[in-house]
Amino acid sequence: MNSNTLHAKVLPALLGGTSRHPLPGELIHSSNRSSDCSLEMLSLAGQALRFERLSPPGSFIVEPEIKDDRKIVAEHLRRPLIRLLTAKNATEHPARAVARAFDRLRLRPHPFDLPLIDTFVRSNAEKLGPTAQHWADRQKADAGTQSYFDPELVDESNWTQATLSRRAAYLEQRRRDDADSARTLVEATWAQEEAEARFRLLQAFQTGLTMADQPFLAAQDKDRAPRVRALAARFLSRIGAGTENPALAACLERIKQSQGGLLRKRNALQLELPANVKDQTASRWILQSFAEVSFVELAGAFKITETELIEAAGKDQPLLLALALIATNERRFDLLELLVANLPNAWEGLLEGGFDTVGAMTESERHRWQEIIVHPYRKDLPTTWFLWDWLHRITDTEASASVMSMLLNARLLMKVPEQERGSPHWLAMMAAICPASQRKELRDQLAEFDQAQTVIPVALLDILDGMENNRTHD
Amino acid sequence: MSLTLERIEALAPDQASLGAARKLLKPSSWPTLAEGEGLVWGECQGSGATPYRVVVNEADAGYKCTCPSRKFPCKHTLALMWMRAEKTTAFTPATLPEWVKDWLSRRRGKSTTAIKDEDDEQPKPKPSIRLTEIPEAAEKHDPKAEQRAAAARERNRVEREAAVLAGLDDLDTWLSDQVQHGMATFVAQTAQACRTIAQRLVDAKASGLAGRLDALPTRLFTLPGPARPTAAIRELGQVHLISQAYRRTSELPELLAADAGQAVGWSVTREALLSDSKVLRVDAKWRVFAVLSEAQPDRLRRVETWLWRENDGDNEPQCAVLIDFIPIATGAATGGYLVGDQIEAELAFYRSTVPLRAQITTLKRGAEQNSEPLALPRERLSVSYAKYEHALAQLPWLGTFPLSFRWASVRRNGEQLYICDNESQLSLPLHSSQTNHALPLASIDRIDGIGLWNAYEFTLAWAETPLGRWLRS
Repeated sequence: MNSNTLHAKVLPALLGGTSRHPLPGELIHSSNRSSDCSLEMLSLAGQALRFERLSPPGSFIVEPEIKDDRKIVAEHLRRPLIRLLTAKNATEHPARAVARAFDRLRLRPHPFDLPLIDTFVRSNAEKLGPTAQHWADRQKADAGTQSYFDPELVDESNWTQATLSRRAAYLEQRRRDDADSARTLVEATWAQEEAEARFRLLQAFQTGLTMADQPFLAAQDKDRAPRVRALAARFLSRIGAGTENPALAACLERIKQSQGGLLRKRNALQLELPANVKDQTASRWILQSFAEVSFVELAGAFKITETELIEAAGKDQPLLLALALIATNERRFDLLELLVANLPNAWEGLLEGGFDTVGAMTESERHRWQEIIVHPYRKDLPTTWFLWDWLHRITDTEASASVMSMLLNARLLMKVPEQERGSPHWLAMMAAICPASQRKELRDQLAEFDQAQTVIPVALLDILDGMENNRTHD
Repeated sequence: MSLTLERIEALAPDQASLGAARKLLKPSSWPTLAEGEGLVWGECQGSGATPYRVVVNEADAGYKCTCPSRKFPCKHTLALMWMRAEKTTAFTPATLPEWVKDWLSRRRGKSTTAIKDEDDEQPKPKPSIRLTEIPEAAEKHDPKAEQRAAAARERNRVEREAAVLAGLDDLDTWLSDQVQHGMATFVAQTAQACRTIAQRLVDAKASGLAGRLDALPTRLFTLPGPARPTAAIRELGQVHLISQAYRRTSELPELLAADAGQAVGWSVTREALLSDSKVLRVDAKWRVFAVLSEAQPDRLRRVETWLWRENDGDNEPQCAVLIDFIPIATGAATGGYLVGDQIEAELAFYRSTVPLRAQITTLKRGAEQNSEPLALPRERLSVSYAKYEHALAQLPWLGTFPLSFRWASVRRNGEQLYICDNESQLSLPLHSSQTNHALPLASIDRIDGIGLWNAYEFTLAWAETPLGRWLRS
C-alpha cells in the first residue's frame, strides 16, 4: 500500500465506514482467516498517517518591524513586575504608577512578558512604548495600518500616523510653543480626519486661543459632527467672534444679580438651582450646566472682570463650584486659588458632580491643581477612600511633594476608619502616589502595619526604586 | 542548593496557603527552629496541644509536616521554607532529632544526606512510631508463607492475564464496530463510545489501554474539526497495534514486549524498577527544561518533569521524564522541580525501545537554578524530527517526544503559530494554548530551543533568543 492507495481507497473506507465503503481487501492478507482485515488496515493506515509530514501553510504573516528605542526593564525586575501586575487583589493604582514609571524613564516591558501582563498592557499601552502598543492593538481591525512611535519621536513628518492621544498631546505642545504653526499643521490634514479625531484635536485649540484662529473656527460651522460645531462655536464665543453661547444663556438665567454693601456698592451673584434639583444631585447639575461656559463669557455677561466675578460670587457655594469647574477646565489656577479660599470643599464638590477629566494638563499643572484643591484640608485631611482614589485616577500622576508631605505628616494611613485601616487598597494607593523623594518616609510608616498587609505596596516601592536605578545606572 | 521564594511560590498549592504561611513567619510561633546536614526543621505551635513538626530537605525541597492539612505542602512547611529563604530568622545548628531521622529513612529516593547518614552511623535499630503500630513487620520471615504469597501472586497474574486477553477480544469487537460505522460517526459520539469500552477495559484490568481510550475524546476535541476523523484513525490504529503486540509478546524483542505490557496496563512499580539490575541507569547532570501538569479524569494530576542530560554520553538517552501523580484535591500543580533546575542524579529508565520515562535512584546534588543556556546539539529541527521518525519506527505507539533545534523561527499563519526550520520546509504547529504566550517570538529571526512533540502539536518549552530566554509558562 502506498500513499496514493491510502488516500484514494483506504481512508475513504475508514472515514465513511466499511459497511458502506468496503476496504480494498486485496491490499492486505490477514493471518487470521476469520478476520476481514479491517483492523489491520486501521493500524496500518494510522501508522502511515503518523509518518506523513504536515504540509506547511501556503504563507506566513510578515510581522511589522517596530522601532522601539526604549530600554527593556532590568531582568531582575521582570518577575516582581509580573507578580505585582497580576496579583489577584491588586487595584488599578499600582498599575498606574508602574505605567508612569515606564513612560517617564523611557523603559519598556520585556516583549516576552507582554502576554503575561496583557490587561496592564492594554490599559496603559501608550505609556509602555511602541512594542507594547503594537501588542495591545494587534486584535484591532485597523491594526495593520497603524504605525507606532515613541512620543518623543513624533514630529511634523509623522504626527498624523501616531495614535490619537499622542497626536492630541503633540498638538497641545505645539499650540503652547507656536499656536499659529500648530493651526497650520492641523489645517493641512483636517479634511481627512475622522469626527473623533477632529473633536480631540480641536480641543487643543483651547491653548493659545486668539483671534488668529477665528477663520479656522468659523469654517467648522459646517462640520458634520455636532460636537465639533459646538466646540468651535464655544471657542469663537470665547474670543468674541461668535454668536452667543446657548449654554451661557441658560446659565445666566439661573444666576441672580443684586447689589449690596453699605459703604461701597458691590455686585452680588447667586446661583439658583432649579426646583427639581435635589441637594444630592446639585453638584452634578452644576457641572453639567457650566461645562461649556468660559470665564470670559461669564464675566463679560455681567460686565465685570474675572476677579470681580469671583468676588461677586461671595460665599455662594453652588456658583463657586461652577466657577471652580470653569477655572479647572481653562487651567486658570490663579482664579481657582481665589475660589477655594471660599470653597474649601471644591474637591468633594467636583467628585460629587462627576468631574472626570483634567484634560490636557501637563504634569506640573496637575500637581498645581492637586495642591490647590487639597491644601484647604491641610489641618483635617479627608479619610474617605473615594476622594483619594478619584484624585489619583483623575490626575494620573504622583502626588506633589507638598501634598505627600501633608499626607505623611498627618499619618493619614493611621487615621483612616478602623475597618479600612491597613487595607491593601489604601496602602497600595499611597505607595502609588508617593514621589521618589518621600518613599523612605512612607516605608517607615508602612513598617507599622502587619507584613501581610504591605506586600503589594512594598513590592511597588521596590519596583519603582529598581526601575529608577535601572535607568540611572544605564 | 538553597530555597528561594520563587521555588516556594511554585510549590505552594494556592495563594491562600501562602497567605496563611505568611502569618506564621513570626519566630514566636516556632518554639524550635534548627538546621543540620542539609535539613531544616522546626516545631510550630498550632491550635492543638502538641506542636506540629516540620522538616524540609534543602537539597530537593522534600518536606514532611505532622499537621492534618490536606494541602501539600501545608502552611507550616511553606512558612519554614520561607523563613529559611529570607534568612531573617536564626536556625540553631543541631543534630538530627529522631523524628527527622525517621522521616529521612522512609523518604522516597536517597539524598546525599541520607547516604551520609547510613555510611557514618553504626547500624542500629531505630525507634519508629510506624514499627510500634505494626509489630508484625519486624517478625522473622516464614518460607512457607512466602511460598504461599508467591503462589497467590502467580495465580493473580494468570487470572489477570486471562482477564486482559478477554478484554482485548472485546476491544477488537468494539474497534470493528467503529470501523464499520466509520470514523466520521465515531468522532460524533466519541465520548460515549470511549467511555463504554474504557470501563470494560478497566474491568479487564487493562488500565493502560483504558486510560488511553478514556483520554481520547479530550485529545480529539483539542484538534480542529476537520482533523478529528483522521486523528481517530491514528489513535484507534495504535490501540489495535498495542492489543496485537501484547498478544504476541513472545515474538517481539524484549524491550518492545515490555513496552506493550506497559501500554496495556502492566505497571512496573518503583521498587521493581530500582531492584532490576538490568535496567538502563544513567548517572549525569540533568537540567529541567519543562514541567507539564495535566488533570486526569481519575482526580489525579499527572506531572511530567522533563530533563535534559548535560554530560556527554553518545549512547545514553539525551532526555528523561519523571512522571508523578498527585491528588488534585491537594491543589499542588507541580512536582518539586522548577524549569531551569539542575540536578546531579542517577536515573533508572523503564524498559523501553525508546527509553524516556525514568525514576531517580540516587540524588547526588539537589536542585539548583542554573542560568546557563542548555547545551543543545547543533542540529536543525528537521534533524531532530528525523530522530523522532526513527523512534516512531521502533515504537509505533510512541507518545510525546522531545525535539531540540537550532536556527528555527516562530511564524504565524492567521492565529496559528508554527515552529519552522529556517532551511527546510518543516513547520510544526505550536500547541493552541501557546498562541498568545509565544507570539512575541514571531518577531525574532532565530531561536534555539527544545519542546515536546505529541504528533499533532509542538509544545515549545525553552528557547534561547537574542532577547534572552523564553520559557513556557
